[in-house]
Amino acid sequence: MLSTLQPPRSLSLLPLRRFRNSKTIVSAASSTTSVISPPQSQILTTRRSLLSGETTAVEIAKSYLSRIRLTEPQLKCFLHVSENVLKDAQEIDQRIAKGEELGPLAGVLIGVKDNICTQGMPSTAASRILEHYRPPFDATAVRKIKELGGIVVGKTNMDEFGMGSTTEASAFQVTVNPWDLSRVPGGSSGGSAAAVAARQCMVSLGSDTGGSVRQPASFCGVVGLKPTYGRVSRFGLMAYASSLDVIGCFGSTVADAGMLLHAISGYDRFDSTSSKQDVPEFQSQFLSMDHFESKPLNGVKVGIIRETLEDGVDSGVRSATQEAASHLEALGCVLTEVSLPSFSLGLPAYYVIASSESSSNLSRYDGVRYGNQVMAEELNKLYECSRGEGFGGEVKMRILMGTYALSAGYYDAYYKRAQQVRTLIRKDFKAALEQNDILISPAAPSAAYKIGEKKDDPLAMYAGDIMTVNVNLAGLPAMVLPCGLVEGGPSGLPVGLQMIGAAFDEEKLLKVGHIFEQTLKGSSFVPPLLANVP
Amino acid sequence: MATRALLAVISASPNRCFISPSRIKIQSLTSSSSSHYYQRRQSRKIHRIAPSYSSDSDSSVLQPPDVSRLAQTARISLTPDEIEECETKIRRVIDWFGQLQQVDVNSVEPAIRAEMDGGNLREDAPETFENRDSIRASIPSFEEAYLKVPKILNKE
Repeated sequence: MLSTLQPPRSLSLLPLRRFRNSKTIVSAASSTTSVISPPQSQILTTRRSLLSGETTAVEIAKSYLSRIRLTEPQLKCFLHVSENVLKDAQEIDQRIAKGEELGPLAGVLIGVKDNICTQGMPSTAASRILEHYRPPFDATAVRKIKELGGIVVGKTNMDEFGMGSTTEASAFQVTVNPWDLSRVPGGSSGGSAAAVAARQCMVSLGSDTGGSVRQPASFCGVVGLKPTYGRVSRFGLMAYASSLDVIGCFGSTVADAGMLLHAISGYDRFDSTSSKQDVPEFQSQFLSMDHFESKPLNGVKVGIIRETLEDGVDSGVRSATQEAASHLEALGCVLTEVSLPSFSLGLPAYYVIASSESSSNLSRYDGVRYGNQVMAEELNKLYECSRGEGFGGEVKMRILMGTYALSAGYYDAYYKRAQQVRTLIRKDFKAALEQNDILISPAAPSAAYKIGEKKDDPLAMYAGDIMTVNVNLAGLPAMVLPCGLVEGGPSGLPVGLQMIGAAFDEEKLLKVGHIFEQTLKGSSFVPPLLANVP
Repeated sequence: MATRALLAVISASPNRCFISPSRIKIQSLTSSSSSHYYQRRQSRKIHRIAPSYSSDSDSSVLQPPDVSRLAQTARISLTPDEIEECETKIRRVIDWFGQLQQVDVNSVEPAIRAEMDGGNLREDAPETFENRDSIRASIPSFEEAYLKVPKILNKE
């Protein structure tokens, strides 16, 4: 039954691609094992198999739950697995039996990052201060998913409140990378990325404040889509840095990430920063390969960002990015190098803004109205002890840094200045995107690194966000998709290519991304762990 | 009265602190008069942590952070070990922030967020949230219709 759900390139074909002991960089574009078929949309495959009667929603759900049971003890992607999955699947089957109309996500199994509220289901943002908290409402994105027939499988692990790049800063558990169990999955949406990579769910929701969808997508070899700021309602997303936060999507194909984005997009009266811009029907972009012309991206102008390929970027990542650029050229794109002079300023500006906004946003966790409370003799002590015991080290540090940056006498030097730098970054991106349809860069300076490697060195950890934070400062859409493998782990480690578009032009990213993915020869981005899992 | 009392607790969240009664009614959560009161309180956000720096943005004049005072302002209790650890890490990060002082931002307008279309505010009218029991169930100390916090009125 599982074979009907898995893309044909997955489990059985895995032995074709083994890069153990490889001394050279292995790039998907350069590999010659081209018998592997391009990846197929899990959402569309599910729909087809349900409508044809080939399988049932319950059977599909059982197979995923079984895989979760087998892999979860090692991976630890989920903080909570829903007890209602089979019941929800049964309802879909009953609708099919009655001949009722099915929503576009009917039977699709979806992981939801734990900082996105799910009614009656634990939602803790991986923080002790919210341990056992069950929200009284669904986030708008979750409500829309449920209305379209999607099934929430569970809540995925993350760095506490989104503050981290490895998922090691979860208060509850450390998620590992399905490609190499000794490495991090990235973060902060590491659980959502690893769960899709390990096929524990079909797609998942994450959140991206400075790269928290895109960097784990790169580390885990899946597609990660960060929409334009305002495209998706933030109602029900636990705020970290409100001017930067967006809900984003993971999938094992561009089409899946795009269809999930379509489902959750649009204006929401509960979020005044959500946009009334039309949401285009992305699905028309996901043509099958048979319909591609010989140069399907003829004339698409692609700018490769010079500053993202300079010192500090691993040579394997640089090669994979350059080969991805060559692949785009072969598809008809016109490639030029662009420079963003403000690029390196984005990182400190981002951390000033994010810390400042977090110190304000997280003041709501006072131990009085929800979350864990440490009772004390005096009210201030109650706040201090509830927060002191409830927050982890990184969260405390960022709140304190933000408190400092917003202090009288420091505000202009840090917060205001960082916002002025944000203006410079926006201008640079605008100029580059007036000359180009999309910009490309690596998603991160390296592939996944070892657990514990950067845990105690905040600046080393922050440096890994250099490729992604500027996009949040400018509020632009960006997508990361696997483009190659570098040496490391039992069978190589995936590397992601980042594509950045103009505001509200996700459609172009999805078109270019889909054609890139479908024509990339030689690699299936399925982690070796799945070779032994039914 | 009940509205003001509830908002007192909401606003007395960690960065701000002022007198609030020990027992507060929950029913007034949706009051429309609340937002003005809250905004007034928000304006108290900026605190003085260390002597202010001169206005010419020279990073060398900025004082390093005093972690104990920051923690007090942010209402977070820290152990002596945590203070020591935070001090080292925060100083490194703040030093690294210092590079922003070298950027020429004269006549550059600050951007508070990405460009976005305006006019998306909904009508400012109270609405009833039906799932109140679930809200109450999340409150750590709750008695009848009241949130319980330590007694702070009629102190010796």
